[in-house]
Amino acid sequence: MVAFRNTDTPGRTSGLLLRCVLYSLLALALIVVDKRYDHLGRIRRTLSVVTYPVQLAVTSPFEGWAWLRESVTTRDTLRADKVRLEESLRLAQFKLQRYDALEAENRQLRALRANTAGVGSRFLVADIMNFDLDAFRERALLDKGARDGVYVGQAVLDAYGVFGQIARVGQLTSEVILITDAAHAIPVQINRNGLRTVAVGTGDPGRLKLPYISTSADVITGDLLVTSGLGGGFPPGYPVGVVSEVRRDPAQSLADVEVKPAAALDRSRELLLVWLNPGAPAVTGPLPVTSATPAAPPKPPSASSENDE
Amino acid sequence: MMRDRRIRRLPMMLSAFLALVLAVLPLPTVLEAIRPDFLVLVVLYWSIESPRAGGLTLAFVSGLALDVTRGVVLGQHALALTLMGAWATHLRLRIRVFSVMSQCLTIFALLTGYQFVLFWIDGATGNPVTNLARWLSPVIGALIWPLMLGVLSKLHER
Repeated sequence: MVAFRNTDTPGRTSGLLLRCVLYSLLALALIVVDKRYDHLGRIRRTLSVVTYPVQLAVTSPFEGWAWLRESVTTRDTLRADKVRLEESLRLAQFKLQRYDALEAENRQLRALRANTAGVGSRFLVADIMNFDLDAFRERALLDKGARDGVYVGQAVLDAYGVFGQIARVGQLTSEVILITDAAHAIPVQINRNGLRTVAVGTGDPGRLKLPYISTSADVITGDLLVTSGLGGGFPPGYPVGVVSEVRRDPAQSLADVEVKPAAALDRSRELLLVWLNPGAPAVTGPLPVTSATPAAPPKPPSASSENDE
Repeated sequence: MMRDRRIRRLPMMLSAFLALVLAVLPLPTVLEAIRPDFLVLVVLYWSIESPRAGGLTLAFVSGLALDVTRGVVLGQHALALTLMGAWATHLRLRIRVFSVMSQCLTIFALLTGYQFVLFWIDGATGNPVTNLARWLSPVIGALIWPLMLGVLSKLHER
């Protein structure tokens, strides 16, 4: 049976109270000094030197075991690790590739949004689904249609300027006629002096014509053409193009003016559909989502019209 | 007399060292909460068994070691262990003839006093621990006391 061995001589322990009081006072002094003056860092460090071997001795077997387990990891584990890491690397590289495209898309969307600041109307972002519908016509197919309130004659912008207008509307898609289409004309004015004229497409991507400029008119290379807003098809003040060449033949009454379109006609993927009806609430916040349907979609004058020209 | 005392100190040092090892042994969090205060029990045993061998000094030094390993304010465990060691030494003649059950109850009281001193100093130094798990350790210590008693008496006999 467990018991005390009673090796101690019975009787009073000499100076128990004295030693108790002494040690207690010492401990209290230590507490106060440590708490108040923070001078015991050195003592604590010295004592740590004493207790550190204990802690080291206690923890080293655990660390050694962990090291041992790591060292004798089986070949299978390593192979599994390798497969897993390769897979994650592939995934990361795939994501990295997407990143470039996303960055470009983001830049384009930001520019597009900056462009909408002055529209003051309802707008909707549309993606180009298909471009080369016909080899001889500058048309593109958008992924928004009558369900989204798109109507014939609606202005289409991109991040850099006027892109075209809607020529035909389907239920889910619509066809946009680019400003460079030979059958398209857009009322413009020269930003520098306000001269009004009409820019006509040439059928050649990247080139517009100003066929109604008289030889004496004040047009020089580098003039910016903006939409005039006349005719109500397009919002006023949007860049259409920059005059790239002016040829004046004294024998002719009209000058030959070529314009380079401002819109990235061959590069843009996201376009902006603009509603110009004054009753529509102005949207200044984030771009509406794709599924947004207009509260009062303006009815196209003739839903089956082939072309508004 | 001198030789006798030296012989008695070796198991004391050894047991205190082993108890310190057990006190800093890394344990899972669940077991951490119910880890008995081995060093306190060892100090109480030697305070009861052979106070003349320097039980109170052992209590003070062990308390300092606990303070350092736990990283608390220096002197906290030292004060608590000194006070409880002195109390145990004071009660030693009665404790020795107690039944094991009564001994466990006495140890429970001593450990509760120990925790109370720690609690008090924690509050006084501005970092109170309101975790109720602290009051579990006297129960654990009292339950493990018979085991400690057997092991330490065996060690003492050597």
